[in-house]
Amino acid sequence: MSETKRAILTAFTQYRDTLDAHYDQRERVIKCSRDITALSKKIVFSLLRITQDSPERVFADATNKQKQVLELFRKMSVELQGSNGYKYNRQATPGLQEYIEAIGLWTFLRDNTLITKQQVLDTLSVEDENGEVKPLLMVTDEDYILGVSDLPGEVNRYCINSIGKGDRDAVERCLTFLRDLKEGISFVMCGGRVRDLDKKIPTLDSSLEKIEKAYYSMSIRDEEMAKVNPSAVVAAAAAAAAEA
Amino acid sequence: MDVQVFVDLQNQFDSESSLREEISTATKELFKTCRLTSAKLSKAHAVPKSQSKQVTDSVKEQFATIHTNIEAIAKHVRPVTFYRYHDMWSMAVQNACALVIFAVYLEESRLATAADIQGYLGYRVNATNEDVTEFVITLEEYLHGIVSLFNELSRLAVNSVIVNDVQRPQEISQFASELYAGFQLLNLKNDSLRRRFDSIKYDIKKIEEVQYDLRVRGLIA
Repeated sequence: MSETKRAILTAFTQYRDTLDAHYDQRERVIKCSRDITALSKKIVFSLLRITQDSPERVFADATNKQKQVLELFRKMSVELQGSNGYKYNRQATPGLQEYIEAIGLWTFLRDNTLITKQQVLDTLSVEDENGEVKPLLMVTDEDYILGVSDLPGEVNRYCINSIGKGDRDAVERCLTFLRDLKEGISFVMCGGRVRDLDKKIPTLDSSLEKIEKAYYSMSIRDEEMAKVNPSAVVAAAAAAAAEA
Repeated sequence: MDVQVFVDLQNQFDSESSLREEISTATKELFKTCRLTSAKLSKAHAVPKSQSKQVTDSVKEQFATIHTNIEAIAKHVRPVTFYRYHDMWSMAVQNACALVIFAVYLEESRLATAADIQGYLGYRVNATNEDVTEFVITLEEYLHGIVSLFNELSRLAVNSVIVNDVQRPQEISQFASELYAGFQLLNLKNDSLRRRFDSIKYDIKKIEEVQYDLRVRGLIA
């Protein structure tokens, strides 16, 4: 073997090891991110059961699952230290967005507010060996806004369930929330800085439209009922009061 | 809900865009210098091997400018955000690497090592995947530069025949196949490097065709 050939092969063997390590690490982030996505979806489904179950039970269940997600984040954070945070952000962000969506829905149901980035970071914070409470990983503004802009679909589901139960308050809350969210997201979108944000707008619009239509039919029905059969309305209100 | 959250976010994005603009301007400069250097270095295709040295000597200054251009990009980048903006200049740095690699080949008929890159461009090639603590040239950028060399080599094989140097294609062929053997050690994933790697075989083929033409006519042994 010639000298140049030997030198080339030695160098490329090293490059192969470097690239392999990089690809493996990227793969591990992808896997973690996918697991986080799956578990976050489960949190969402648990939360949506709130129209059938008591809030305490639903939130307890969500808390349980959130602890499991945190373990996954702990695993993923190992791969995202230092400059690797941005290096593998593209792989990490799907799971992170899904998680933000899940706890965003949670915050909405519990407090009727939009989750802040700080709140997201707080849920991801754990105590390190020096007793300092720090977030496990970085959440970029893009992660946050993209996660939050996935909320309409879930809020929409909750709203439709609430309509089924005749919960006017809930429907009202959803409507206000989505309208505000739309305004906010459109505002950020005008800046045009965040990639993929524009893809989320159609879902937001259709969610809003569905809710408005459903709310409209609900109102018409109630009006009509009040006109045709006032005593039934009184009876229904009494029944609702008794149930509460 | 407070819309202030979104206003703050937008302000954040806005303040970042001035940084992006500066990086983008600096990158454009680097592209420009690279194009100029590439044009000068291309003259090597029109002269016999004996005159290669004059061509490479004529671009030495250009490499100093490229170094300065990269410095102008690097000064905007902190280690932790290195990969946030990396895509913005990566292509330009790939070009710069390709130029160094071609120049070194013209001068010494060998592959430019990571150390050569650092010598010419002033920045280290991160060949070991370690955490970025300063501005670096990534391994992928260096490898992209090597793929570009195959392109130049196939052109060079054809053009050396034009300037009546029938021995050179043989030398080029030998080098290209050794280098290709090295590249084949890599387990590439489906990314841009892989796609470009797949195109190397056409360059190799072209070099072999030149060999064939010369041999079939009895112009080389």
